[in-house]
Amino acid sequence: MSWIDILSALVSGFTSLTWQSAFLILLGCVLLYLAIAKGFEPLLLIPIGFGVILGNLPLAQLASGEGQTGVLNIIYQAGIMTEIFPCLIFVGLGAMIDFGPMLANPAVLIFGAAGQFGIFLTLLLALALGFARQEACSIAIIGACDGPTAIYVTSKYARDLLPAVSIAAYSYMSLVPIIQPPIMRLLTTKKERGIVMAYEEKKVSKRVKILFPIVAGLITMLIAPMGAPLMGMLMLGNFLKESGVVGRLADVSSGALVNVVTLLLGLCIGSSMLAGNFLKWQTILVFLLGLAAISLDTVTGVLLGKLMRVLTKGKINPLLGAAGTSAFPMSARVVQREGQKANPRSFLLWHAIGANTGGQIGSVMAAAVMLAILAGMHIPPL
Amino acid sequence: MKDWAFGLTMTIAGMGVTFITLYILTLVIKLLDRFFPYKEEKKEEGK
Repeated sequence: MSWIDILSALVSGFTSLTWQSAFLILLGCVLLYLAIAKGFEPLLLIPIGFGVILGNLPLAQLASGEGQTGVLNIIYQAGIMTEIFPCLIFVGLGAMIDFGPMLANPAVLIFGAAGQFGIFLTLLLALALGFARQEACSIAIIGACDGPTAIYVTSKYARDLLPAVSIAAYSYMSLVPIIQPPIMRLLTTKKERGIVMAYEEKKVSKRVKILFPIVAGLITMLIAPMGAPLMGMLMLGNFLKESGVVGRLADVSSGALVNVVTLLLGLCIGSSMLAGNFLKWQTILVFLLGLAAISLDTVTGVLLGKLMRVLTKGKINPLLGAAGTSAFPMSARVVQREGQKANPRSFLLWHAIGANTGGQIGSVMAAAVMLAILAGMHIPPL
Repeated sequence: MKDWAFGLTMTIAGMGVTFITLYILTLVIKLLDRFFPYKEEKKEEGK
């Protein structure tokens, strides 16, 4: 072996670096910057950003996806392709969620349905732009404002879009405080935003809190069995918490389990963002449609809020409709902040949290119906 | 089935089922609250 061969072996990493890989490594660094400096969903963007850097290193065999063989690909195949990660994250989410505000004021649940309208309007847009039906459904589900649900649907029907859809879903979840307020202000007057809603912290009995995940789980899973893996896990996590007798399991679910899965999920998603499947015009369209989905969710939510304001003769603040997305608890916080800007005496957080948890259930229902129709029409995965 | 027909079917069925399910859940919560009100629980604790 000559010195030239040795030298070329030592610098092979540099010589194999393409401009596309270099660009994606730079993009990974931008995600890390946004997470650290701007505080955008750091729990997700740091693993994703680092995953992008690792996955695009030439010759390192750390990429995930079709035809890859590295260690991250093993985790990717085991956790994402089998849909285990989204389900485990839902156990953790369930253990973190307090359905109390929603149980105390169930009328706000209806906002959780209105907040899903953007999903279906975006589906129509994606179909009009020429996306295949499976792709259109996967893109539209970004409007669920719920990363695991988006990953769950996309990994079933349009795996090629998984990196773009998951990055878009998680990015827009963190951008909810920027996306929603201008739409809320555009659609409402200051007087409407300043409506003070009666605030009475109604107590809910422990029995209702324990029974709700069982009863609601049964009803929703019987209506839409395709969503049972997500809904079942969400309700299981909540039941662990509310039962009050398995504190250790509830703590692990809402802490260690969800943290470990989030780390692995982020790394795998990031390492699957490769030049071949990410650097294309389609990705830009996915991001634009994802933005449209979340914006339309907010529009339809606020419009329903305005209708409810009229029907209740001014008792409902229309901003509450914007909390019907499942971006929990970001949307609720945005509603509270915008309400207080218009009227410092307004306190909407309690009601908004209820609508927000309703949105969590609504988004899973919307995804379940979508999967049921795709399966019912015998539309195969791409 | 044409794409637009598929999209409309999905939209109508998706929004319809989501609205109906959440409405049923609203009724279920009200029912649960009626059967197991908070006050009763406090009385039991008092016993």
